[in-house]
Amino acid sequence: MLRVVIADDSRVMRQIVIRTLRQAGYDWQITEAADGAIALEVVTAEKPDLVLSDWNMPNMTGIELLRALRNGGDDVPFGFVTSEGSPAMRDEAAAAGALFLVAKPFSAESFRDVLEPVLA
Amino acid sequence: MSAIGIFDSVQLTAIAEEVFAAMVDGEPGHLQPWWDGPVAVAEPVHAWVDLHASYKGRVLLTTDAATADDLARALLGMGDGEPVSEADLIDAFGEVANVVGGNLKALLPEQGRLTMPVVSWQPPAHEGATQLDEVLLAWRGRPLVISVWNL
Repeated sequence: MLRVVIADDSRVMRQIVIRTLRQAGYDWQITEAADGAIALEVVTAEKPDLVLSDWNMPNMTGIELLRALRNGGDDVPFGFVTSEGSPAMRDEAAAAGALFLVAKPFSAESFRDVLEPVLA
Repeated sequence: MSAIGIFDSVQLTAIAEEVFAAMVDGEPGHLQPWWDGPVAVAEPVHAWVDLHASYKGRVLLTTDAATADDLARALLGMGDGEPVSEADLIDAFGEVANVVGGNLKALLPEQGRLTMPVVSWQPPAHEGATQLDEVLLAWRGRPLVISVWNL
């Protein structure tokens, strides 16, 4: 079973992401992280198969989390799930090594569209 | 005009309808324009995010406490009447404001920074601020007011 870390400071949004992933057919082993700093600790310790992260979080943002992972030599597949899906942010995410950016609000199809190429 | 002044009521309504259809209700049609005259919000709860760029703007959502409870129930998949903690109300209503604000920010020519959402039973201080637009909406028949401000 795929092991996935979901980082978002909103418990409500983490629940929505988990529910939507299940609706999309992904019944994965999920570890939740309440901000980027916690996510960095969890990802470093648990070596998950995928990270889904919010962008705007206290303590450490999602882009700071991604850069910290890459600077530490961790190439875990990483995608953003964020309310801000502007072209500039998509470019910034891709330049930092993110595989995709899912904009909120999202649907099960939104996740299938970006995850199927990653899982293939 | 402030950069954030490009939004009109049609855009505000369309974004809010999209957010509620996808995130809250799972289907369209439950958030509609308010047609019943002036809105009176009892026990108001406010949620807002600020946009910081060369300008400063604010997106503010206001509804009543009972409706905010129902929003939290809908977002968390809870049953009717199930108790909602204050933490869940703040988290849920703040996240709705965050997603509405983020989607509006994405339409702006100049990006900037979106603040973390704030939820309060008191409205934000608006000294020196200018209200640029306001839409009156009904979520499942209950009032939801969205306003955009230049700070």
